[in-house]
Amino acid sequence: MIYIAKTTLKGIFRDRVFQGIMVVALLFLAIPAVALLSMRQVAELSITLSLSLLSFILLLLSVSLGATSLWKDIERRYTFSVLSLPLSRSSYIVGRFLGFAVFMILSSLVLGTVACLVIKFSSSMFPSPSGQPIVWWYVVAAMLFATMKYILLIAFAMLFSSVSTSFFLPVFGTICAYFASSITQQVYEFVNSPASEKSISPLIKYASTAVYYILPNLAGFDLKVNAIYSIAPNPIGLGLTVLYFFAYISILLSGTCLLFGRREMK
Amino acid sequence: MTRILSRPSFLVIACIMYMILITPFTSYMRNKPIEEKLGYLPSVKVLIPLSADQKELTAASLVMKVLMYFGGIVGKTQDGKVISEPPDLKGMSRLLHGAVQLDPYNMDAYYFAQGFLTWDAKQFKVANALLDYGMKYRTWDWYLPFFAGFNSAYFMKDYAKAAEYYKRAGDLSGSDLHKSLAGRYMQESGQTDLAIAYLTAMEKGEKNQALKKNYQIRLAAFHEVKRIETARDRFVAEHGGSPVSVEQLVQLGFLAPAPADPYGGRFYLEPSGKVATTSKFAFATKNK
Repeated sequence: MIYIAKTTLKGIFRDRVFQGIMVVALLFLAIPAVALLSMRQVAELSITLSLSLLSFILLLLSVSLGATSLWKDIERRYTFSVLSLPLSRSSYIVGRFLGFAVFMILSSLVLGTVACLVIKFSSSMFPSPSGQPIVWWYVVAAMLFATMKYILLIAFAMLFSSVSTSFFLPVFGTICAYFASSITQQVYEFVNSPASEKSISPLIKYASTAVYYILPNLAGFDLKVNAIYSIAPNPIGLGLTVLYFFAYISILLSGTCLLFGRREMK
Repeated sequence: MTRILSRPSFLVIACIMYMILITPFTSYMRNKPIEEKLGYLPSVKVLIPLSADQKELTAASLVMKVLMYFGGIVGKTQDGKVISEPPDLKGMSRLLHGAVQLDPYNMDAYYFAQGFLTWDAKQFKVANALLDYGMKYRTWDWYLPFFAGFNSAYFMKDYAKAAEYYKRAGDLSGSDLHKSLAGRYMQESGQTDLAIAYLTAMEKGEKNQALKKNYQIRLAAFHEVKRIETARDRFVAEHGGSPVSVEQLVQLGFLAPAPADPYGGRFYLEPSGKVATTSKFAFATKNK
C-alpha cells in the first residue's frame, strides 16, 4: 500500500503536475495589486482572493487526479501489471488515494505559504480601517479544512472512477457532486424551515433530506468567512467536521474498494 | 486545411493580421458609448448555488463590477464627454444588495452603497436598511452605525434614531465624537433626560481630562435645557398655553437664575415649544 502511495506520488511529480501548479500559483503575485481596488478592505480582499485561488487550484487537482486515475490505469494496462504483484485490489485503491492525499497536502503547504506571504504583504500596506486584526490561526485553519474538503472530493472522484470506463462519469460526476455538496446545507435548511412548510410537499422534503444525508456536506469545510473577517470558528464544530471527514472518507473508500474488487478486468 | 495550418508562413500571416486588427479593435473598445450597462445578473437565489464555496469571491467581484461601472462614468464625465443617460443607480443597488446576500460581511458593498444611495439616489431608508442588515454581521464595526446615524440625522431628521446609532458607534469605537453626537441628538429628539444620563455616565468613566471637560460642558448645557423645559412645562400647567420665549419664563419667575449656554449661545423656544440654542451645542469657529 505504501509502495503504491509512493509510486503514485512519484508519478504525479513525473507528470509535472507540481510545475503546472507553480505556474498557476504565479497568479498569487497579482493579488496585492487586485486587492488595492478595494475601498475599505484591502486585507480582507487579499485573503478572499488568496483562499479562493488556493481553493480553485485544489479543485482542479482533485478532479484531474481523482477522476482520471483508475480508469486511465486500466486503459494503460498499468493496473494489470500492478495487480499481478502480491497486492490486493483494496490496497491498490487505498495506496492510490494516500498518494493523492499526500500530494494535496504538499501542494496546500506550498501554496498556503505563498498565500500567507501575499496576505501579510497586502495587510501591512493597508491595515483594515475597522480595526479587525488578521487571526493567522483562522487563515491556516481555512486552508487546512479546504485541503480536507478536496481530499474528500478525490475519494468521491475515485468512487466514480472505479466503475467507469471513460473520463465522463468521474469528471462530470465529481463536478456535479462538488456543486451539489456545496449547497445541500442551504437546501436542507430551506426545506425544513417554517416558511417552506406550505409550499413544499412532504415527498420533496423527505427526498431533499435523504440527498442531504447521502451527499457530503462540503459547506462545513468552508472557513473562508472566519479567516477573512476574523470570526472565531466553533471548536466543537471543527472537531465534528474532522470526524465527519474521516467517517465519510471511510465510507467512500470502502465503497470504492468493494466496487473495484468486483470489477471485471479484461 | 491541416497542411496550411502547419506552415510557418501561415503563422506569420496570422500574426500580421492580428497586429493590424488589434489597434482599431482596442480603439473601438475604449470608445464604446457610455450606455454600458451593468449587464444581466442572475437572481441571488441562482447565484448562491452557482458560487458553490466561492461566495465571498463572487460578492467581491459584484462590488468590483459596480465600482468599475461607476468609475467609468465618473472618468468619462471628467474627460468632458457627454453622458447620454444617468448612471443605473437601481442596477447598482441591486448588485450591491446581491453582494451582501452572498457575503454579508463585505464592507466595500456597504461603504459604496452608503455613498451613492444617499447623495445620488436619495434612498435613505434603503441605505439604512442595508446598514442595519450589515450591523447584524459586522458587530465589531463602528462605521456602519456611524453612517446610519448620519443618514438618520442629516437626511431623515430622525434624531432619536440618530442618537441610537451614534451611541452604538460610540460604544464600538470608544470615540468621543460619536458619544457627543449621540448625546446631542438625544437632546434634539426631546430626550434630554436620556442625553443627560448618557453624558453623565460617559463623563464619569472618562480618564482623559480634556475629554472629561468636553463632556462636562455638554452636560452643563443639557442641564440648562432641562431647567428651561421644566419651567416651560410649569408655565403650560399654570397658564394653559405655551410661553412665547425663554425671557418670558425668566421675567415671570418660572426660571431663576436666567439660563446660560456654556457654548456661548442664546437659548430660545422653537414654535413647537422645543428648547434650542443659537450655538447648536458647539463652540463657534471663526473662518480665517
